[in-house]
Order: sequence, then structure tokens, then C-alpha cells
Amino acid sequence: MSYVRGLKCRECGREYPIEPIYVCEFCFGPLEVVYDYDRIKADLTIDKIRSRPTNLWRYRELLPIDGDPYVGLHAGFTPLIKADRLAKEIGVDELYIKDDTVTHPTLSFKDRVVSVALSKAKEFGFDTVACASTGNLAHSVSAQGAAGGFRRFVFIPASLEHSKIVASLAYEPNVVAVEGNYDEVNRLCSEIANKYKWAFVNINIRPFYAEGSKTQGYEIIEQLGWKAPDHVVVPCASGSLLTKIWKSFEEMHKIGILKELHTKVFAAQATGCNPIATAIKSATDVIKPVKPDTIAKSLAIGNPADGFYAKQVVYNTGGWGEDVSDQEIIDAMKLLARTEGVFAETAGGVTLASAIKLVKTGKIKREGTTVICVTGNGLKTKEALEGHVAEPFRIKPKMAFFEEILAKIGN
Amino acid sequence: MKRRVKLMFPQVLIKEPVIFTMAKKFDIMPNIRRARITDTVGEMVLELEGEAANLDEAVKSLSEQGIDVEPVEGDVLE
Repeated sequence: MSYVRGLKCRECGREYPIEPIYVCEFCFGPLEVVYDYDRIKADLTIDKIRSRPTNLWRYRELLPIDGDPYVGLHAGFTPLIKADRLAKEIGVDELYIKDDTVTHPTLSFKDRVVSVALSKAKEFGFDTVACASTGNLAHSVSAQGAAGGFRRFVFIPASLEHSKIVASLAYEPNVVAVEGNYDEVNRLCSEIANKYKWAFVNINIRPFYAEGSKTQGYEIIEQLGWKAPDHVVVPCASGSLLTKIWKSFEEMHKIGILKELHTKVFAAQATGCNPIATAIKSATDVIKPVKPDTIAKSLAIGNPADGFYAKQVVYNTGGWGEDVSDQEIIDAMKLLARTEGVFAETAGGVTLASAIKLVKTGKIKREGTTVICVTGNGLKTKEALEGHVAEPFRIKPKMAFFEEILAKIGN
Repeated sequence: MKRRVKLMFPQVLIKEPVIFTMAKKFDIMPNIRRARITDTVGEMVLELEGEAANLDEAVKSLSEQGIDVEPVEGDVLE
């Protein structure tokens, strides 16, 4: 039984029935899923959530599907790690890492959104799913689409390095390499999505797809003992994840599971692609598109669809936005690995490095609970660390050589 | 053919009849759905209807004048 009321335009408020549509026919504003929260409040309890399997569907009343979930039965419910060593390094009292480096099946938070998108696509009756991606999204659509028995199309820029697409090709989707710059690839994909009756997960299925991000927020609340953190730092590409984490907190408050909510939401970007952080810092409502130039490829969206709304959340909650250089990203990736044993992709470096700056500038106070959202696995972007990690000690197979090294290392 | 776009005007062009000029020059029918002007920038969300080649030329012309032309759905390559 669905708790979904319909789709609603974020700009003009016009409501629509549940269909695979994504913009308001009148003002072209983006559509958002709205729910019957009174019914959810009556039906969804902490005990009910606890009784369910530890995957993202344990919050299913707050997700936009009508029947049983179709894919992603092992996705979500990733660890929330209490990061005491890292807390000491960066100067906060209580720090947690929401560790989506280990999301099933493709090791990034995209498994959450794709689980919801493909389950909804099945309900809509689609047999073909598609996406435009340079990495994580392609991996997840390829893998989960295979598990769901869908025909799959993955569009990539022809300039993308072969090593980046191997992780998608393994699942044997139809990969289409489009010759042209990113703008041309974007435009072609939008045209294809509007012409073919496919579930293009981040275009015509986007309102449902994006809802999957909320599960990261629900899990944070559950894993903190049904409390919201004082600060949450979220990486921004399109800005959707940030808005959805905030939506998840608000929903938990609305249905009475959260007794109080005063979280400040912080946006993290790379300086080489920082349209949202720039808008926050310059106090403007205009998100000025940029041409991305950063090692954090999974955050390289120059024209972020939800940038304006992400900026609004940051402002309304008393948070802030920060951006960091490629070197700061690398240093933070290494710091996270060294202190907490978590190897994050470059986006994780962006989030931690931004958090460090936010603590240094006093935007994040030492006191209180801080959660840093780490969204993807470091094995996906390990080339970013080439030349930035130590070389192994090479020795001949004799004890004397080893002990010579040991003496150099010391304690 | 129709194309949904979001335009961002630099301050110097806010007072210019850019849309009217484009519509006449490239035989395009614009249908404005949303617009916003602040002291520094103008934003407009609209649908452009015309021949595919004319639409390409019209968008190119707007870009050459310094107007940022983006699809309303933002970047979908993620």
C-alpha cells in the first residue's frame, strides 16, 4: 500500500498524479514526491522499522513505491562509524562517518537511488532502463539493472578513460559512447529520454530516483539512537543528496520519531566545480554554471539541477558551504584512511576536507555531534592517489635487510 | 520541434529585447514560463519552438551574446 499522495512542483506547487514525469508542464519547475504523513505517522513506528531486514527498504512507507521492492534488497544500512581518531585530528568532540563506501552492490550511494528508481520503473512497466554517467551511476544501473532483468543503456562521453567504464562493462549493459563535449552528451541524453519510453533514471524517473537518497538520512538518525546530528556535511554534485538528507530529517520529525530537530546542513564541493558553495558564500540565489576541472569527477556537475534548493536548505538551517582544492582532497582521503581505515573516493576527500575547513573557520563548532557523509569507495578513483602515497620498502629475502628497515621506521 | 531551456542574462543585457530579436531572426516561437530579475542577473525559463536547425542557430546566437543557455533539467551526466 502506497503512502504517496502525488507529485508536486517545487516552484508553483501544482500537483500531478504519480507518473514517469519530472518537470511541471506549466512552469517547468522540478517535481517532488509528496506523502500522506498523517497516515505514515499512524503506521510507521520505531519498533516496526527495527523488526525489518537491515536494508534501505526498512523505511519503505517513506519511499515512493506501491508494492514490494523489486531491486536493492541488500542495499543501504551502511555503517555509521564513530570516528574518535579523526575527531581528535580535526578538532571536534563527537564525529561520525556515514560510510557508503560499502553500499551493496556497487560501493557508492548511487545504489540507494538506483534501488528506488528501478523498483519504481518496474511498477511503471518499463523493460528498459538508462542513465548518463561517467562513473558511479553507470555502475549501479548496470549491476542492479542486470539483477532486475532489465534491458540497459548507459551513455558516456567518448572521451572517458576505458578504465572508468570496465566496472560497468562487466555487467554487459549497452554502453553508448557519445562523441562530443559534456554539454552535447547532456543534451542528447535529454532528447533520448524525451523520445524513447525508457526509464531514464535521472531524467524521467528523477523524482522517484532522488527519494532513494533519503535513506542515508534515516539511517543516520536510527544509528544515532533516533536523534539527528548537530551538524551534517554533505558532498554536492547536483545538490539533490543534500536536499534529500534534510528532507529525511524533516520527515522523521514530522512523523514524530525525531523529537527535536536543529541540525545545521553544510555543503561540500571541490573548488574546481563549486557553483553551490559559491552561491552560498556570495549570498546569491543564482547558481552560476561552471566548467568543472577537478579530480572529484563524481561531483563534477557544473550546472546542478538542485543547486538552488540545496543552497536554500543550507541557509534555512544555519549551515554553510565550503570548497577545497585537489591537494586538500587528496590529503583528506589519506587522513580518513590513516585514522579510520576508510578508503573513500575523491568525493569523500571533498567532504572531509570541507569539514576540516568548516571547523577551522568556526562554522562547525567543536561541541555537538558532527556527521560526515562519505558516498563512494576509494577503489573507484585510486588513480587520484598515484604519486601521493608512500612506496613500499623493498628488501632482499633476508632477515638482516628487514631489520635494517625496521630500525629506520622506529616505533 | 520544442526545446525547454533556462537562460541566464548578464546585467548588461537585461534591458535588451533579446528574446524578441531571436524570435524574429530565427523564426522561433518563445513561450515564457518563469522569469526572475535581480539587481545583477536575469533568469528566464522558457520553451522555444521552431525548426531544429533554427533552434541550434538561435541558441548559438544567444550564447555568443553572453547569455548562458542550459537545459531546464540541469546536467544529467552524473
